Amino acid sequence: MAPMLEAWANVIVSGLIIGGIYAVVAVGLNLQYGLMRILNVAHGEFLMVGAYLTFWGTTLIGTSPHLLMPAVFVVLAVTGFALHAVLFRPLARVAPNPEVFEARGLIVSFGLMFIVQNAALLAWDADLRGGQGSLEAVRLGTLVVNGDKLLACAIALAVGGAMILWLRLTLVGKAVRALMQSPVGATLVGIDVRVLHPLVFGVGLGLAGLAGALISTFYTISPSIGQPYTVTALIVITLGGFGSVSGSLIGGVLLGVIEAVGVELTSPSLKMLLSYLVFVAVLIARPNGLFAR
Amino acid sequence: MMRAYAPVAVAGVAAALLPGLGSPYVLSLTLTCLMYVALATSWSMFSGATGYISFGTAAFFGLGAYVCAWTLDWLPWPVVILGGAALAAAFAAGTGGMILHLRGTYFAVLTFGLAELVRHAMTYGEKQYAGTVGRMLTEVPSDLVVYYTVLALAVAAVAIAVAVRRSRFGLALAGIGADEQRAETLGVPTRRIKIAGFTLAAAVAGGIGAAMAVRWTYIEPLAVFNPFIGLQTVLIAMIGGAGSIAGPVVAAILFSLIAEYLRLQFPYAYMIALGLLLILSMLYLPNGLAGLWRRAGRVNR
Repeated sequence: MAPMLEAWANVIVSGLIIGGIYAVVAVGLNLQYGLMRILNVAHGEFLMVGAYLTFWGTTLIGTSPHLLMPAVFVVLAVTGFALHAVLFRPLARVAPNPEVFEARGLIVSFGLMFIVQNAALLAWDADLRGGQGSLEAVRLGTLVVNGDKLLACAIALAVGGAMILWLRLTLVGKAVRALMQSPVGATLVGIDVRVLHPLVFGVGLGLAGLAGALISTFYTISPSIGQPYTVTALIVITLGGFGSVSGSLIGGVLLGVIEAVGVELTSPSLKMLLSYLVFVAVLIARPNGLFAR
Repeated sequence: MMRAYAPVAVAGVAAALLPGLGSPYVLSLTLTCLMYVALATSWSMFSGATGYISFGTAAFFGLGAYVCAWTLDWLPWPVVILGGAALAAAFAAGTGGMILHLRGTYFAVLTFGLAELVRHAMTYGEKQYAGTVGRMLTEVPSDLVVYYTVLALAVAAVAIAVAVRRSRFGLALAGIGADEQRAETLGVPTRRIKIAGFTLAAAVAGGIGAAMAVRWTYIEPLAVFNPFIGLQTVLIAMIGGAGSIAGPVVAAILFSLIAEYLRLQFPYAYMIALGLLLILSMLYLPNGLAGLWRRAGRVNR
């Protein structure tokens, strides 16, 4: 391969890999918003908690981070059930209409964001931890890829695929989709909102924790890593369309490639500027996502 | 008519007499209170009435602050303040036309994204053209001048809110908040009204940004475009009750006082308390402090 082409192939591949991880960062938030109109801006904070659980688990117990991932998912999913019961169910009960619920839900998630982030700062201080990785680099033809990132991307895509299958093939998944399409109609045929809302909120938090666990295998972590990932998730969701899981997968990969190529063409200091530019442009021009018909 | 302005005038005169009586510490504390009174009141005037929740206050504030940094050395002080308000207003009018067709969460998220976009663009632009990201302010006006400027802006913000509420313009804003389609059908030019309200609120925030910039002496994007300024404005207005005028004013004062005591000594605990307060107020006091005394008034009768 010509060196020029090879350099670009490297850029695209690293963009695809980080994009796969972005996808799983976004899926949980997208499910929550798509089903319940809760835009949980504390999403990144729960990702950060997942990263810390994985870090402490591997440091204290000494197991591999990948074995801990199911446990991290479960811990955060249970947290999600509890939060839904304590906060969002009462909120939905007193809100006069869905628009007011949406606004108040957003404010409550901002409150959660402050609480979780600062509790983490109190508990674990602002130091950077972990991030050394455990796998060796992988050769794909002439390309060299970070092994930890590649494995994380594979797990992320597998989880994303499993989510799509769950929504398409299982009865619970179909009920969730029915509720997204028509809350009134779905309730009329006997789909129980009181079961599915906490369930999906929990799954959303669990996926955030899982994404954090994946990220902790190759990046250093600190209590402030969450917020940028919330923004990433928001951008991915805007690209892929609110409520669409497959849209999130494509949107995540797309954002990964856009960032990688954009940074290569300009400079690393422009990464955030680029992301926000994409975000604002898509929201203004195609608020229902790039793939909306 | 005069009854609504009377408390504003009394509070304004009281605050105006303060520099003769209070210590510099009290003065600087009052300055913070006044800043958030102005920001929260102007925010409620538009976002509280229409339901278009904007997290973009930081963008307007920061643009005002940068106008101050660019022009302080060669323009008279009142012109600097007006310039800050003008740039923020122009930015709001320009972007408002593009974003105000989006409702609800879309609008809220977009204003947040826009504020961050402006911050990153400013960081990049200053690095490219000025060579450094931050700017030093050397010749700053005295504390007293700053105090009276912010006081004037706060009084103006409250007076504007009172005046708007009683005008056709205010009714149109409230009509958009209640049911935008119905308002449109009844002949309200909703698009123009929304842009005008958004721009007016931005002008106040820009003026405050220009006035408060000199308190920093060193201006950099992360400080003056801090998204927390936008968040705190929304929180104060919501906790006070964005549908009222007195609610956000009271909340701004309470907030600044609590923040003053907690933030420096226990920064993390302060933020946790803030989050808890926010959640509790949404759950138990959804119409804010204003809902509390409205309820009390009903019981007394």
